[in-house]
Amino acid sequence: MEPIISISNLTKQYGDKTVLNNINLDVYPGQIIGYIGPNGAGKSTTVKVLTGVIQDYTGEIIVAGKNLRDSLMDVKRMIGYIPELAELYDLLTPREYLNFTGTLYGMEASLIEERMVKMLDSFGLSENIDQRMDSFSKGMRQKVLLASGLLHNPSIVILDEPLSGLDANAVILVKELLQRLKQEGKTIFYCSHMMDVVEKVSDTIVLIDKGTIIANGSFAELRAGSGESLEQIFSKLTMADNLLEKAGSLASAMTDNTNTQQL
Amino acid sequence: MGADVTHLKAILTVKLKMDDRKPLTMGRQQPNKKKKIKYASTVAFILSFFVGFMYIFPLVVFEDPYLKLFGLYTMLTVLLTFGLVTDFSNVLVDTRDKLIIFPKPVSDRTIFLSRVLHIFIYFFRSVFPMSLMAWIVWGILYGWKGALWFPIPLFFLTLISLFFVMGCYSLLLKITKPEKFKDVIGYFQIFFSILVFTTYYMVMPQMRNQEVFQQFDIKTIAWIKYTPTYWLASCWYWVQPKAAALTGTGWLSILAVLTPFIMLWVTVKFFAPSFIRKLSAIDGVEVEAPKKRVKQEGKSKLYISLANMFNRSNASKAGFSIAWLQTSRSRAFKMRVYPGFAYVFVYFFYLFLNTNVAFADLFEKMSQTRSHLFLLYMTSFILLNAVSNMNMTEQYKAAWIYYTSPLESPGRIMGGAFKAMWIKYYLPFVIVVTGFVLYVWGIGALIDVVLATANVTTYVLILMYLGNRHLPFSMPEQMKTKAGKAVLKMLFAIIFMGCMGLAHYAIYFMWLKVLLTFISIALLWTIWDGYINTSWKQLKIAEDAY
Repeated sequence: MEPIISISNLTKQYGDKTVLNNINLDVYPGQIIGYIGPNGAGKSTTVKVLTGVIQDYTGEIIVAGKNLRDSLMDVKRMIGYIPELAELYDLLTPREYLNFTGTLYGMEASLIEERMVKMLDSFGLSENIDQRMDSFSKGMRQKVLLASGLLHNPSIVILDEPLSGLDANAVILVKELLQRLKQEGKTIFYCSHMMDVVEKVSDTIVLIDKGTIIANGSFAELRAGSGESLEQIFSKLTMADNLLEKAGSLASAMTDNTNTQQL
Repeated sequence: MGADVTHLKAILTVKLKMDDRKPLTMGRQQPNKKKKIKYASTVAFILSFFVGFMYIFPLVVFEDPYLKLFGLYTMLTVLLTFGLVTDFSNVLVDTRDKLIIFPKPVSDRTIFLSRVLHIFIYFFRSVFPMSLMAWIVWGILYGWKGALWFPIPLFFLTLISLFFVMGCYSLLLKITKPEKFKDVIGYFQIFFSILVFTTYYMVMPQMRNQEVFQQFDIKTIAWIKYTPTYWLASCWYWVQPKAAALTGTGWLSILAVLTPFIMLWVTVKFFAPSFIRKLSAIDGVEVEAPKKRVKQEGKSKLYISLANMFNRSNASKAGFSIAWLQTSRSRAFKMRVYPGFAYVFVYFFYLFLNTNVAFADLFEKMSQTRSHLFLLYMTSFILLNAVSNMNMTEQYKAAWIYYTSPLESPGRIMGGAFKAMWIKYYLPFVIVVTGFVLYVWGIGALIDVVLATANVTTYVLILMYLGNRHLPFSMPEQMKTKAGKAVLKMLFAIIFMGCMGLAHYAIYFMWLKVLLTFISIALLWTIWDGYINTSWKQLKIAEDAY
């Protein structure tokens, strides 16, 4: 099978600092890729390159047979992106915002309306469709962003911490949604720190650290019969020092100082 | 007053340190990721010093020393209050503390007092250089005693202005819902800036007549005894009691000393607890229950109809919609742009009321001049102000959506946004002004209306094309040092527009006007083509230069 995303020798530098160092990765259609790594590892930069936000990189990226550099617009049309931190124009209502984003993807107004109503209804936001989002909770905003990323029915969905701020029911809903999207043959590129979710939903887990891929395989392959959780594998591969020792010294920092009284 | 000194000191130290490290914004929350200006306070000092020259005016024109001081203090109070309302509202109602300080064991009074003191320190820092020139003049006029005395009432003045504004805010918080408070403050600020501007232009014509000032007798306006600024002026009694023309001046000076402390006590005692409580409710994440029923599908709104009517491509429709909606709702945009609408009318009427012609004969007199051109070109300020402010927002990070969408070129979005501003803000003005011009000057002035409108649109578009090519609501708000540059650019733009108006004024031949209209429209067409075809590369160059 041909990979839907093929990244070869991807390198990105900011001045002297190399943020992505020779990344090579193949993603196949219908796969859920869990893209994990510590803060500053290069996850967001990879996503920004894939979504066309960063264009001055070296290496080659082929998406569905098209070179990202040459067919940027075609690739963007295939991708649905849901960023972290819920950055949106919150003075607008969900209806207005989704109309705006749908229009940017060249969708017909009637189609936007039809899909938007269904999606917001599924997310439990149908009553808030005409309310300004500045009074929304983080979770509600995240749901609107999820809807905006899926509105144009993309074949590749890139999610950057999509569960942040969502309540337990919404997390279940999104996890189920990921499975449904997978069944429909969509490819999902899933960046997260939530190891338990990544462990459960991903077909392939890619671990990146300091701009380099240090592990790539299914969860079973990564643990190779060791019985460890993904969290343990992650810390073993990315943390040089002992975490338990660090936690101990953190706790003792509060009691070592003789002048500090316990409150 | 029930405040914890250690807490107070800690909060103030951090707040002042942050002020010095962020862009020169006088307490406004403005994000700027690139540069840190460390010595913002020093720059503010120099700026305020130059502003201070205007405060010499009352000291020079009046004879009576008490009247001199009354004039000075009134000017200072009005401008300080204005400054407080526009620049310090964000400090006073800063809700970021909600997550940082509110959960810590710090009392309400300490938080309240820390805000008051924070603003006071910042404010006194600018009051001092602002009044420095007046101080020097006072020293020259009344010797070393006068110079030594001068800063004392200023201290009280700052406190009185501060507590006056805080009192107003506390009252507002009592009568408005917390979630609506920021909107109310926004409208209050717009109203206040219009009021100050209008008052200034109504008083200006009187100021030209210097003799009136010199012969002014304080006894004819004995009511000023009841104004706090006169109480402050009466502190001069301590130095020169014999010069006091009004009885009881000595007693009033005691009032000047007592008032700020009484105000402080009243605000801390009665307003502080409810102020903090209400403040916690601002920006709350509590979602209001939806009031309206969900709209029926297919029921189109005005902006959607207009977007479809005036734009062909999807990208320009999106640009039109976002610019239309955001400008209706962004508080910062309204604050910057809406007062300008009133300024245009106030300034126009100031020019005519200043001609000493009876109102009944005013239109008759107007029609004999060609001042309609002045009005027509002045409307450019509306368009210029709207389009140059539509790119800035605190939520500039939300602009990621433009970059991930399949847009061949960003120019279409920019074009749609420009059209939205033209139709929403400029066109209604042009219609009103055209009606007025045709009523007073007759149908013959129609060609002037067309030529001026074409010229204004072309000119503003050229300015956008050359120096302001950004996507709508995608740029961080500028820091004040850069904002100064922006004001200067705006000033030059308006001066050049004035020159264009003068050139138009010099043209009497109808055929030439028609010819120029065609040339202007052709130029507009060419520039427009360049503007809406702005590429991503050109946009990046403009962003880097920002």
